[in-house]
Amino acid sequence: MKRTAAFLAAPLCLALVLAGCSAADPETSDGRVHLTFWHGYTESDGDVLNQLVEDFNASQDDVVVSTEVNPWDVIDDTVLPALSAGSGPEIVAMPAERLPVYADRRALVNLDDFYADEPATADVQPGALDMVTTGDGTYGVPTGFVPLTMFYNKTLFAEAGVEVPRTWDEWVAAAKKLTVDSDGDGTPEQYGLALADHATVGNGVWPTLFYGNGGDIVEDGTAVIDSPQNAETLRFWHDAIAADSISPTGLDGVKGDSLFASGRVGMYVGGPWMASVAEENDVDYGIAPVPAGPDEQAASAIGVAMALTVQADDEQRAAAQEFFSYFLAHEQAVTWSLGSGWPPLRTDVGPDEVASNPVVAALTTQAPLARPLLPGVVNNADVLEEVDKLTQRAMAGQPVDGLLAEAQREIQVELDE
Amino acid sequence: MSTAQAAGPRRRDFRAPAPLGGRRPAPRGRSSRGRSTRIAFGFLAPALVVLGVFVVWPMVSALQMSFTDASGFGQAEWVGWDNYARIFTDADIRDAVVNTVVYAVLFTPTAVVVALALALLLNDPRLPFRGLFRTALFLPFIISLAVAALAWSYLIDPQVGLLHYWLRGIGIDLGNVLQDPTLAMPAVALVAVWKNFGFYMVIFLAGLQDIPGSLYEAAKMDGAGPWSRFRHITLPMLSNTTAFVLIFAMIAALQAFDQIYVMTGGGPYGSTQTVVMEIYESGFRQLELGFASALSYVLLIATLLLSIVQFVFFGRREEES
Amino acid sequence: MSVATTRRRRVRPSTVLLTAGVGVATLVVLLPLFIVLFTAFKPSAEVNAFPPTLLPQAWTTENFDRIFSDLPFARLIANSFVFAGGVTLFALVFDSLAAYALARIDFAGRKVLLVGIVATLMIPFQATLIPVYQIVSDLGWVNTFTGMIAPRAADAFGIFFLRQFFLSLPRDVDNAARIDGASELRVFWQVVLPNARPALMTLAIFVFVNNWNDLLWPLVFTTEQEMSTITSGLTLLTGPGGIVPYGVMMAGALVAVVPLVLAFMLVQRKFIESIATTGLK
Repeated sequence: MKRTAAFLAAPLCLALVLAGCSAADPETSDGRVHLTFWHGYTESDGDVLNQLVEDFNASQDDVVVSTEVNPWDVIDDTVLPALSAGSGPEIVAMPAERLPVYADRRALVNLDDFYADEPATADVQPGALDMVTTGDGTYGVPTGFVPLTMFYNKTLFAEAGVEVPRTWDEWVAAAKKLTVDSDGDGTPEQYGLALADHATVGNGVWPTLFYGNGGDIVEDGTAVIDSPQNAETLRFWHDAIAADSISPTGLDGVKGDSLFASGRVGMYVGGPWMASVAEENDVDYGIAPVPAGPDEQAASAIGVAMALTVQADDEQRAAAQEFFSYFLAHEQAVTWSLGSGWPPLRTDVGPDEVASNPVVAALTTQAPLARPLLPGVVNNADVLEEVDKLTQRAMAGQPVDGLLAEAQREIQVELDE
Repeated sequence: MSTAQAAGPRRRDFRAPAPLGGRRPAPRGRSSRGRSTRIAFGFLAPALVVLGVFVVWPMVSALQMSFTDASGFGQAEWVGWDNYARIFTDADIRDAVVNTVVYAVLFTPTAVVVALALALLLNDPRLPFRGLFRTALFLPFIISLAVAALAWSYLIDPQVGLLHYWLRGIGIDLGNVLQDPTLAMPAVALVAVWKNFGFYMVIFLAGLQDIPGSLYEAAKMDGAGPWSRFRHITLPMLSNTTAFVLIFAMIAALQAFDQIYVMTGGGPYGSTQTVVMEIYESGFRQLELGFASALSYVLLIATLLLSIVQFVFFGRREEES
Repeated sequence: MSVATTRRRRVRPSTVLLTAGVGVATLVVLLPLFIVLFTAFKPSAEVNAFPPTLLPQAWTTENFDRIFSDLPFARLIANSFVFAGGVTLFALVFDSLAAYALARIDFAGRKVLLVGIVATLMIPFQATLIPVYQIVSDLGWVNTFTGMIAPRAADAFGIFFLRQFFLSLPRDVDNAARIDGASELRVFWQVVLPNARPALMTLAIFVFVNNWNDLLWPLVFTTEQEMSTITSGLTLLTGPGGIVPYGVMMAGALVAVVPLVLAFMLVQRKFIESIATTGLK
């Protein structure tokens, strides 16, 4: 039996060796409050944010914030186990539409007191705040808020001789001119438009189109998707695509992004990152507001926000709010806007202050069009899934009335849950 | 060491798995059962400690959670059978169960048949470069599923997909496979078959080595053709291997997730939404750990029942043959 | 005997047909892998070009340059080796010990234990991930290799797989050894294990490959990037808005799979041999 013991002990010793060589605990006893901040800004925007954090650390002697960067999807998958075990971050950034569900499940700290005490918060874009507010109060500090915008390929526009469209009718007409099917096989080689029918950019393309014709999805906790306006919108776009193949079908947002980047698409409704993606792929692009619908001109917004987790103790909560105040100050708001390529989060930062970045300046003038997506709807993921089912089926040619009635019913069920 | 080893069997080939039910080890005259139980648990201890701490205990806490409204934060409330009741009334779950069954029915037999067919071909002594073919056909198993799913999505993409383009050149329009509610599920199942058949094939190859060549020679002399030899020698002799592969392929199929997550995300309109996709979304997206746990237990019990049916089926066939 | 004479004697239509059939099947199976290989050498403008081509029009290594400049490459590969190698090592030892007891020792509750072990495979890992994480966290093992390896140091599939194999080995030799007074450990170590090499190798490949390619597990258990593996590290290349830069991703996939192919080739000679030698009988 002695041999058995030795045999069993060997791997266990190895385990201990492995444990010994693992990363050391970063706990330090320098008297400062330490905060971990997870965010998903993986591009050059992340460098700017990390620099802001370092500047904050240098600006005072009480708080040290350290960042850990992972793609947004990864954060969403890993933050739940980490927080449930108390070994997660004190501050976590996430897409704003993910925030209500974490707030509702008591993972986040209510920031109403912070908003009451910090004067800078009065200048934050109200739409951005709507996205981080639930029935119980405000749970996040916005780090990004931008309306979906139209990117167009200037080279293709010049070839086809079309102007930037301002209304839906002009939009469809321009798309027709931009669509090229040179071998006449019914599948164009170049499309006027890339209109995703599910999992669209920030889930916002269809809400944007619904708003344009005076429709909506949810109002005051009630589903309002089954409206004659929305039926009209779906028919309008289905007919436009079916008649002239102005857009490929079955696209999602990620596919749409890469199609526009390939230079084979004239117009695209996308997020601000399309500017750098287009540049990387040598696409000569322009930016314009999403064309106005028959009823109004509005665009669904993409929001990102950071939140304070319940894992933070009182000291850390106070420290985190210091960081939030620093981040929201006028100077940092300008730096962050220019560095991230997103419009300023403060209403008192005008286009002139961000003129050095033409993309940001253009987006800043479009800021008034931005409408928060499903504010305060905790179950927004399920609601948006129903919207996806609706638009995908409608674009595949299924009768719109039945689909809308079904979506209305399903969304109401999700809202009542 | 050398004496015992030299006395050991010469053949080091890979044998067919034994009957699933197992044969009872021969009773050992010289020691009591109590002593062998102690020795057995000495051998089992490391594995049981690991499985106990990191598998069984988490399963117990998941079971406990399944009767609560746990979200991972704060105090969970006991809700009795509510989560289970919701599973049996929720239309989305019903659809996901149907989709999972469809997937399992598409995947399991296809994977087993493809693996067996290629194992038989690779086992044919007339085939040249057998080592090369074996290695090549095993490659899909080595690549990560996420990359495999990306590569396949890219191949069949209606705008830039090479396979799509080639097939159109010969008059076959694939359409937008992953966005077609009738084709999406077969497509993701096929990718899983492609990814996994190599491993099953190796197990079959091993099983084939255990069939004595004399059986085939005798059959040949009796005038049995290739099909008859396959039907009456290969298939029965491989039944343990087949049962092993079939059961583990089915367990894997009922937990289909990765390539669906990457390739379709459950769409179009929920047509590839499987039970594990639902578990993932309710757990990690909706933070409803209680419900996700309950659904996991329903899946566990369903899998267990199906496995028992297979055990019994194969056990009976074994006795007959 | 030269190849030529073999051919002259052996070439028959059925052989040609068989070779052609297997050859075509192999090409079809390898097509997605060719895509990975060639896309890795395509410049980004060509990746979404129409009409698509299999081979790059202008070969480039820019995708690989990005991999090596954007990722702490050597560190990621080393981490992958420690993680996947560690799991494989422990799993082989623990699984074979347990499998031996289940296959060769008669004891009370053997069958119940076996069914219980197999049943643990039937719960999706998504359901137990959070409790597992909480245990690892309570042990203080988050962001350590121990935390990544320990929960997988034994697995039910491996135990069952090896048990099946051990059952099929002839019993007369180990009984003879026992009569000679050998302990169970000695029988296991000197009689059964040496004969189980093919099965151990198969399981080793299975475990190593699965862990090397695992995406979520290392991401969940290590939040610090210097602890990341190559497979999970590649997710950092995902562009803004979730865009996948195909060329770069494929280059990354290729680089990630090279050590795996090398490791496979290292053992495959033995592995294939053990099958191939008897295949000729």
